[in-house]
Amino acid sequence: MLKNILILAISLLVYAVLGIQNFLLISISIGTTFIAARCFGSKYRRIIFIVVIALNAGILTGLRFLPFFADGFSSRVAFWVSLGISYYTLQVLSYLIDVYKGKYPAERNPFYYIFYVIFIPHLFMGPISKFDEFKAEIDAKRPLSWNNFYAGALRISWGLLKMFVVARRASIIIATLSEKPDVYTGGYALLAMFMYSVLLYADFSGGIDVVLGISNFFGINLIENFDAPYLSQNIKEFWRRWHISLGRWLKDYIYIPLGGSKHGKIRQFISLTVAFFVSGIWHGVSYIVWGFFHGAFVFLGDKYNTRFKWLNRLITFVIVSFLWSFFIWQDNTMLAIRMTSTVFTNFNFVDVGQNILNLGLTLTDWIVLGIFAGWVFVFDSRKTIFINKIKSMKAETKTALLCAVILLNIVFGIYGFGFDASDFIYGDF
Amino acid sequence: MKKVISVLSVILVFVLLFAFLNLLLSPKYAVEFIEGSMIAEWYFSSRDHDVIFIGDCDVYSSFIPSLMYEQEGFTSFIRGTPHQFVWQSYYILRETLRHETPSVVVFSVHALRYDRRHGDVRDMHSRTPMRNVEAYNRLTIDNMRWSRDRIDIIRASMTEGESFLSYVFPILRYNSRFDSLTREDFRYLFSRRSHTDNGFLPNENIQPLGALPARRIHANYDFYAENMYYLQRMADLCYERGIDFVLIMPPRMFPHWYDEFEAQIREFAAQPGVSYYNFLDSLDTIGLDFSVDTHNGGLNLNVTGAEKLSRYFASILMENYLSN
Repeated sequence: MLKNILILAISLLVYAVLGIQNFLLISISIGTTFIAARCFGSKYRRIIFIVVIALNAGILTGLRFLPFFADGFSSRVAFWVSLGISYYTLQVLSYLIDVYKGKYPAERNPFYYIFYVIFIPHLFMGPISKFDEFKAEIDAKRPLSWNNFYAGALRISWGLLKMFVVARRASIIIATLSEKPDVYTGGYALLAMFMYSVLLYADFSGGIDVVLGISNFFGINLIENFDAPYLSQNIKEFWRRWHISLGRWLKDYIYIPLGGSKHGKIRQFISLTVAFFVSGIWHGVSYIVWGFFHGAFVFLGDKYNTRFKWLNRLITFVIVSFLWSFFIWQDNTMLAIRMTSTVFTNFNFVDVGQNILNLGLTLTDWIVLGIFAGWVFVFDSRKTIFINKIKSMKAETKTALLCAVILLNIVFGIYGFGFDASDFIYGDF
Repeated sequence: MKKVISVLSVILVFVLLFAFLNLLLSPKYAVEFIEGSMIAEWYFSSRDHDVIFIGDCDVYSSFIPSLMYEQEGFTSFIRGTPHQFVWQSYYILRETLRHETPSVVVFSVHALRYDRRHGDVRDMHSRTPMRNVEAYNRLTIDNMRWSRDRIDIIRASMTEGESFLSYVFPILRYNSRFDSLTREDFRYLFSRRSHTDNGFLPNENIQPLGALPARRIHANYDFYAENMYYLQRMADLCYERGIDFVLIMPPRMFPHWYDEFEAQIREFAAQPGVSYYNFLDSLDTIGLDFSVDTHNGGLNLNVTGAEKLSRYFASILMENYLSN
């Protein structure tokens, strides 16, 4: 218990250091949902449920729309009072819905609930946990052990390697290519989309690795958020492998309650559209079109699949990459569509080949990017096997592996003074 | 126990590898950017000099210690680096005075016009980009030996975005050099190369003085308070040790030196133990000819100019401060 109190104290401290103003909205979320769940025994449970859902979802939606319609002061306020709101709102809503549906009783001890919402590793980038799973982890006996230390430290350093070595190199290309869209032809747009696939995966899954690693230190096992998503054979499968906790949330709390696939194709289409509309809004107003396209492809399911697995994977990867254009040119949906169309109308691959070293990376950088991206791909697609192998290694082998990954980070990472090509991308959502 | 020793051995191997990479990837300042090695040259000197010069390019390109020794018989050393800020000069002086007590410390006041970001006091909008300031910091600090002075100079100099840790482990700043290692990096891995004559960096090029921009009228001519604070601390360091603190304005034709600057320096130099020489007032006496004595259009002296100034100033130092 003492350890849990310490973890909660650290979480509160870190959150406070990031800005005491952040406590305003998170306190409202924690307070309203905790009290509302405790009141579900009353005859007004339905009204309470709707009001509290509307309040919390409304705050998140409002803050998502605010920067779209207002600039200047109100946008800055929205940013500064809402650190981590995208993630903790989904968590408190899932708790509220689960209790309302009677999946488990309302929590009596506020400590557990505050711990669940404000556990700092998962507060800013997920994974989006469910209360019953998380409480089981809190309650589990987890003595400090070298195994947890190695598992955590290796996971963290591996995540940092993805972010600093792979993602940041890719981000330099994206920064160059997205800066002057009118200058670059379709070949560059295609390169930007593929690079963004690399960037977003390395950055986001790297961040999640760090989160899971820190949680490992504390002996808390959070849900895995990625399962080799670029090996998916269709978009439906992609969403079972990419941002798994968000996909699960959308499925459990939007798609299935709206009918899912059990009430005909039209109802399914509507359910999917709503689910991905919510996903789009959750990412930001600019991503609604992106969400719609994903919903449409999920609806198609495996309709476009061939009998060749590799071809299905390639097609899916290309679709996903094309749709990332809404992230690359996030401030201008029409530009994103136009850049995507230039791939078909003004494709000049020779030009790309000639200028590949003028996009911000040297030849060595390209080689480093290629080697490490390949390494990340191979390791992450066989993650479970590797993790089990590492667990069975001798302590000195594990130490050597850990030191090697740290050293690779230090030597090949892009960090420190002057680097500003990207911050952690998914932290914005 | 055996397991613990194995793990510790593995860690030790990686620590040694890390240390080696730190050395390998750090700039050697042996062939390129040689100014970055100048700060270290004093550590290998006798450290019992009669005169210590402190400042930026105005001192390391203007005075020739060997020539002054030949002429007047006193020893001197120049502790100067490019764009050395006033607070950096203070900490470098503090470090110097922990190891030796010269009779005279000479400081070039021209640096007082620059603020923390190396913008001219007159023109806040012409600040040097932060990246350049960081580069100058590195040239000054990278080769300083570890001491309280180095810790303090780092803390005082760091620009936004820099981290203290990157000064402790230079690999955190220079890791990208793995891409551009040269023979120099291996050749000078464990050795150093001397470039100066007791801190004097000779430049034999000639670039005559051209037309100068007109003097402008400014709203404010006050030196930055922080610079004056560190100047006073330098004066105090010298005073406490009975050292004469001599301020000089180098024979620099640009940026313009204004009467308002001069007045502030003269007022400062009125305190006990401090004196001031403005070489701009003595160009003819010194014999400087800016068609041949400068290597960068009147900003700094070349070797012939430095010879003339050294002869002139050596006799002043000998006559007024060292004759006892």
